[in-house]
Amino acid sequence: MATTARIFGNKRVGFGQWVIYALIGIAGLFYGTPLAWLFLAGTRSGSSLDSDPPFTFGSFEQMAQSWANLASFNDFQILNWALNSLIYSVGGVTLSLIACIPAGYALATSDFPGRRVILILTLVAMITPSQSIVLPIFLEMNLIGLNNTYLGLILATGFFPFGVYLAYIHFSDSPPKGVLDSARIDGCSRYQLFTHIALPLARPIVSLVAFFSFLANWSNYYLAVVLLSDDKIYNLPVGLTALVSGSGALTNLAATGMPIKKPEVILAAILVILPVLVVFLIAQRFVRSGMLSGAEKG
Amino acid sequence: MAKVELKGVAKSFGAVRVLDPIDLCVEPGEFVAFVGPSGSGKSTLLRMIAGLESVSEGDVLIGGEEVTFAEPSERGTAMVFQSYALYPHMNVYDNIAFNLRLAKRPKSEIDAQVREAARTLRLEDLLERSPAQLSGGQRQRVAIGRAIVRHPKVFLFDEPLSNLDAALRVQMRLEIARLHREIGATMIYVTHDQVEAMTLADRIVALDDGAIQQTGAPLDLYARPSNRFVAGFIGSPKMNFIPAEVIDGTRAGVGLRLHAGDGTSFGLGALKSAKAGPVSVGVRPEAIRLHIAGGTPPAGTLEIPARVDSVERLGNVTYTYIDVGSDELLTVQSGGDVQLKSGDQALAAIQPESFHVFDAAGKTILSASAAPART
Repeated sequence: MATTARIFGNKRVGFGQWVIYALIGIAGLFYGTPLAWLFLAGTRSGSSLDSDPPFTFGSFEQMAQSWANLASFNDFQILNWALNSLIYSVGGVTLSLIACIPAGYALATSDFPGRRVILILTLVAMITPSQSIVLPIFLEMNLIGLNNTYLGLILATGFFPFGVYLAYIHFSDSPPKGVLDSARIDGCSRYQLFTHIALPLARPIVSLVAFFSFLANWSNYYLAVVLLSDDKIYNLPVGLTALVSGSGALTNLAATGMPIKKPEVILAAILVILPVLVVFLIAQRFVRSGMLSGAEKG
Repeated sequence: MAKVELKGVAKSFGAVRVLDPIDLCVEPGEFVAFVGPSGSGKSTLLRMIAGLESVSEGDVLIGGEEVTFAEPSERGTAMVFQSYALYPHMNVYDNIAFNLRLAKRPKSEIDAQVREAARTLRLEDLLERSPAQLSGGQRQRVAIGRAIVRHPKVFLFDEPLSNLDAALRVQMRLEIARLHREIGATMIYVTHDQVEAMTLADRIVALDDGAIQQTGAPLDLYARPSNRFVAGFIGSPKMNFIPAEVIDGTRAGVGLRLHAGDGTSFGLGALKSAKAGPVSVGVRPEAIRLHIAGGTPPAGTLEIPARVDSVERLGNVTYTYIDVGSDELLTVQSGGDVQLKSGDQALAAIQPESFHVFDAAGKTILSASAAPART
């Protein structure tokens, strides 16, 4: 196919490429539709949501109105939750980075007793659904009195075996062995090897672990709903869920008189996913950049 | 400048012995090349001297000091790697300065050292560049600069030129030779390229199969290889081997019959005695003359009928590959051009004095006594 395309000039696209583009198009449409709907729906009024076709664009005035209703509710409580979410996320990401990156490095570069066991346990912890250990975590936090505190949730989310595994994979072949050898001869201690050589070259993996950790923390609902009972320290997912279910916006019960209706609920959903998109756009630049070019041959 | 002594140094990975006990003494200021094919253990041996690989048995001494278990940085060695192994997140200046900074030297001293090394290696204009912006040859010069500023007692080179293209390799080879002349430090150089070993080293250590096969000056190894491995490894193009047989030991010297041509047999006066049985005979490509049938050869010359298989003309030198009916084609090196083409019949003339003879186990039982004739 490719040769036919070349014979007729570069503008002709071969059959194989058509298939690829078609598949990409279908997949994009299939998985992109709900997202597109969500962002469009954020501009629509309640009546428009009920009666107009699904992909109608409302108006930015309507969006601003919904936002005002959502944000000002209960003395701007939603901003408080957003701030809480930020605290939990920054705390969780920081803690997991401090733990994961050195742990992955140690597992990948040194041989110590119990290394294999720790690796296997990491994998086991990674595939264990977090929901299944929510109750023990709750009991543990209760025991040490950290239930319903910022620190409690941050400590619990600092446990991030997936990050350890990612870091382990990264450090298994980076930096190249020769670079580490050369640094050892130059006089680096084991600790300096990490701080002077491995860590500065690990920006892609630090970004990646931070991104996944942020993703998990920002949208953390289940653990948060179990550990947090005071609505002042709710994070966004827990707060919004409480708000939405309290308002009856998504049920057909009689209206509660709260200004939280379908448009506000949709905006709340956008509010949760938007920061994730932004963080991804920032992080991917670092994740993709070739940090190692020039170290060895090439 | 320091002496490097290896006393019974051996290496095993688990039950697998990769390096037999090795005794070797590298004199202060000497340039020694470890040469051998891949898997011969030469790099492992170097890494044990550097401290990057643990020593299973024996002792390593540098400058008379026992360093078998010392950290790599405590041994006073510097190493240049095949892969350059530059620090990609640092520019050239920082790469060279890294060691001095770790050693917490004063800033002014670091600067002076780095600039001096840069001058020696002609890197002055590249100090701000990152390794990614350098060519292979420049990267290797940075790696050497990083080694120089340490003022090491011993320089270790692990196949430093293998990643460079042919022209650059020749140039860097000359630079390394110049470096050795100028700073006179002890240098140990690992290579699989016998040309590098021959041209650079004061002394070559030929390794194969985890053991030293022979140690000596480059031309000694060339003229008097102690076994078939060294004979075949040192010299380019490599030595020709012809299977042969000891037929009797009664006349002056020993009679040999070549498994080539029509079973040419001849007597070797220099070989006093040998057990009857299979041997192999080695002859350097430049010790064979080719001429077209007819004419009288000088007395004592062996003539083996041969068919020309192919001819490679390089201008100053010509390699002719001839079939004399033995297992492999023989390589003949002649100066200038030869008037032969593929398929021609010719006679391969060899002085019996230029034969090396190896026993069935590959050990040398006779080295060539005649210097290869000039063309």
